[in-house]
Amino acid sequence: MHFKVRAAAKEDCKDISRMIMELAVYENMPDQVKTSHEDLERDGFSPNPFYECLIAEVPDEHKTKDGYTVVGYALYFYTYSTWKGRSVYMEDLYVMPDFRGKGIGTGLMAKVAQVGFMFHCMADPNWNSSIYLPCSLVGVEKQCVRLQLSVLDWNKPSLDFYIAKGAEDLTAKEGWHFLRFHGQTLDTLAKEAPKD
Amino acid sequence: MDRFKLRKAEPKDVPDILRLIKELAKYEDMEDQVILTEKDLLEDGFGDHPFYHCIVAEVPSEKQSNNGPVVIGFAMYYFTYDPWIGKLLYLEDFFVMEEYRGFGIGSEILKLLSHTAVKTRCSSMHFIVAEGNQASIEFYKRRGAADLSLEEGWRLFKIDKSSLLKMSSGPEE
Repeated sequence: MHFKVRAAAKEDCKDISRMIMELAVYENMPDQVKTSHEDLERDGFSPNPFYECLIAEVPDEHKTKDGYTVVGYALYFYTYSTWKGRSVYMEDLYVMPDFRGKGIGTGLMAKVAQVGFMFHCMADPNWNSSIYLPCSLVGVEKQCVRLQLSVLDWNKPSLDFYIAKGAEDLTAKEGWHFLRFHGQTLDTLAKEAPKD
Repeated sequence: MDRFKLRKAEPKDVPDILRLIKELAKYEDMEDQVILTEKDLLEDGFGDHPFYHCIVAEVPSEKQSNNGPVVIGFAMYYFTYDPWIGKLLYLEDFFVMEEYRGFGIGSEILKLLSHTAVKTRCSSMHFIVAEGNQASIEFYKRRGAADLSLEEGWRLFKIDKSSLLKMSSGPEE
């Protein structure tokens, strides 16, 4: 099946919002989704965006029964490792169930990897910015980005997908756990902060 | 230890920040993994587009023993995005030198970070901790942190350079 991966535009936020909910349903946590497509528009398409997004779309003749041609997305942002520097974190990767097994997930992830390389290299003043194709990077001695992501431990299809691409489970290997301060616990701490 | 100050890091703090990054890595038994340099930290934190923000904790020089450094703790953070709840503050590194622990400095840093998160419209503050680091896990849990890996089953993965190269030079669609 032919498909295209491209950078999301503001107009795609309704589709992205729809798919975010589909992914949350898949992860058994739909009641945790609080963002609207307006939030996504504000947070991703302002002068200082907090994320970037790629979408996968199919030609009209392959649209879903509800008429959608946007069938997958990858949402990512740039992070910073005090050990290695700039990195890319892929927050969400999702392909609608009827469109899996056709290379779309792989295509989305490959583009995130490409974006990571280009971003890192374009930020280096010694790098010739006219060289666009990431395949030109092969053989160049550069510190390339590392991609990080997280997966739920019961999500075997996704675990298999990522491990086949070379992903290493750092929770198993090095014991890393995700922690958070959220809602009331965050507010309580914030109220006790030293005054400016 | 009644007098310490928290402030935003400045370019001049970069050597101290790198020193503390290495001390934290050593505490986590991963000292050889730090390949970042002072030049990287300077460009990445204090250039046109900062990739991180940093708070440092300092003590007045007369309080030091053995003419040690003035900067004795730091926290490095940046903003990330959760498609379910929006903007987050991500705490990348957080460290107070051993001899300055137990005086409330870490607590005050955490409160300042939380205040920053709330002020900048973040729903949550996220971070990772190694499960062997019981002292830190207790520190965070006492203050209300939830372990999402235990509670919801999230596992952290990485994909390194060679695998990324293979993926990014794959066939075009």
